[in-house]
Amino acid sequence: MAALPQSLESSQEQLLEQDIADHVTLGQDAWRRLRRNRLAVIGLVIISVFIVSALISFVWTPYPTWRQALGPTYQGPTLAHPLGLDDYGRDILSRVMGGAAIALSVGVGASAIASFIGILLGLLAGFYRGKVDLVISTLINVSYGIPDLLIALVLVLLIGRGVGNIILAIAVTAWLGMARLVRGQTLSIREKEFVEAARTIGTPNAMILLRHILPNALGPIVVQATYLVPAAIIFEAFLSLLGMGIPPPAPSWGRMASEGYKALELAPHIVLMPCAALSLTVLAFNWVGDGLRDAIDPRMKR
Amino acid sequence: MSRGTLIYAAQRLVLISVTAVVVSSLVFIGIHQLPGNALASERRLNPATEQALLHHYNLDLPWPQQYVLWIQGLLHGNLGESLVNMGTQITPLLLRETTVSVTLGLAAVCVTVFVGMTLGTIAAIRQNTWVDYAASTAAVVGYSVPSFVWAFLLILLTVAPFYNWTGGTFYEDIGWGKPEQIPVPALALGLPYAAIVARLTRASMLEVIRQDYVRTAWAKGLKARIVILRHALRNALIPVISILGPLITGIITGSVVIETLFGIPGLGKEFVTSILDRDYNIVIGVFTFYAALVGLANLAVDLIYPVLDPRIRY
Repeated sequence: MAALPQSLESSQEQLLEQDIADHVTLGQDAWRRLRRNRLAVIGLVIISVFIVSALISFVWTPYPTWRQALGPTYQGPTLAHPLGLDDYGRDILSRVMGGAAIALSVGVGASAIASFIGILLGLLAGFYRGKVDLVISTLINVSYGIPDLLIALVLVLLIGRGVGNIILAIAVTAWLGMARLVRGQTLSIREKEFVEAARTIGTPNAMILLRHILPNALGPIVVQATYLVPAAIIFEAFLSLLGMGIPPPAPSWGRMASEGYKALELAPHIVLMPCAALSLTVLAFNWVGDGLRDAIDPRMKR
Repeated sequence: MSRGTLIYAAQRLVLISVTAVVVSSLVFIGIHQLPGNALASERRLNPATEQALLHHYNLDLPWPQQYVLWIQGLLHGNLGESLVNMGTQITPLLLRETTVSVTLGLAAVCVTVFVGMTLGTIAAIRQNTWVDYAASTAAVVGYSVPSFVWAFLLILLTVAPFYNWTGGTFYEDIGWGKPEQIPVPALALGLPYAAIVARLTRASMLEVIRQDYVRTAWAKGLKARIVILRHALRNALIPVISILGPLITGIITGSVVIETLFGIPGLGKEFVTSILDRDYNIVIGVFTFYAALVGLANLAVDLIYPVLDPRIRY
């Protein structure tokens, strides 16, 4: 009998200690959960590998990405060229590395711009409601009615095919989902007590939006922005496949695949190597996105 | 179909037409802001011919006037004439290509729904077993591999092996026109989205399977097939149907790439060709058709709801 209170007391102490240990910020908490998610960690590792090879490709690749006739054209993987040579005798490994730089900059760039547009319009629509909301929501709904690839293709036709223009064309079609998400979040957060309190003490609207509403919607925004990266990478590959992507000799993965397509049966490695790099990158980002979603809001876990 | 449904459908049809006109107007105006004219290209025309051609296409008028003429044509179902192949009327051309694209799209939707529902249902029934984990992993992988990569893989896995196995008697060249040429592009187009449907079906099946009426069905001693397919799946499908709209837009986007890769004479291939040829009249026409197609597809999806769930009425 005497042992019971003691053990209770010690377990209470333990609880208290745990409470103190658990006193972490939201971000740290999410990071801890993310680290425990095996697929998300694998995804992060894969992404890091691609980021590192993309960075290296700026200063060094095994062979120049544009140098032709390095050996027999269509040659399969050998020791000197681990991923083989393409139809012009260019080294595929070098080109896949260069392609990583393009894919990642397009993916991250387009995701950043699209997120910025989406967050801005979503905040405005959700906060001011009324006419502002009507205009923005109509814009979103009409744009949803057109396949985004068509808009991007026409935009590329209008503004040209540089890397910056491609990023812009993708971003202009990709912000819809983000705007919808942020608008919904804003609509619900703006009714919370702390927003009302802020308004009562005369906080300007801009401050309420940036300091009170935006931080509270950040979780879903980060998840959505993560999913936007692989979507933009696939999109760039689509544009390249259709001959409207970043112009040659830049080694974009989509272009490499479309160039190798004509020799698919003869030398499948020309198509498969960039496709594998692309699919792996997209898969890694999707794993990280899923992990983030579960880590930031465990209730959303499927 | 009840009277309410008909009125609802009619309203939606009006809205779809308005959207199609607005969308194509925006594209029309955007394209007419491009410098130069559509006939300016590498080949030199003599000034008199060029003037005659510009006049033929009304391109010598200021753009607001061209726009009025174009809208008048559109309201009569006339989208004008191709800039590259003079004399080719766009409306019949695009109508013909639409039937091709719709055939391919429907086949892809069938792949998506069938594969996705099957995988999702099996994963839900065998929740937390290796079957479930395998199906869920397959879903993320399937979704991450874009349609054109599926296309390359499927071509590699089917075309040459079939040719070899049948001793050269069965050679399926990629293209269009024969029924046996449909499955490969349809699979490539449908598989990435099948993964999304599988995920959703699984989640929604897991919810439905725990409902009282499903337990009752089991308790009555019904066969597993009947309980799962007729009692559970039918209700689990309702949230799945709601994603079909965006999914069809996605399949249409994918079809632009797949049609180009497989040389299928559909709307998507026409769009890419006309953009590369700067045949602006066709570009605008394809936009009109796509806006209408997406609208009609979404309407069709919304009309499926009341069939699945009699509680939903319009």
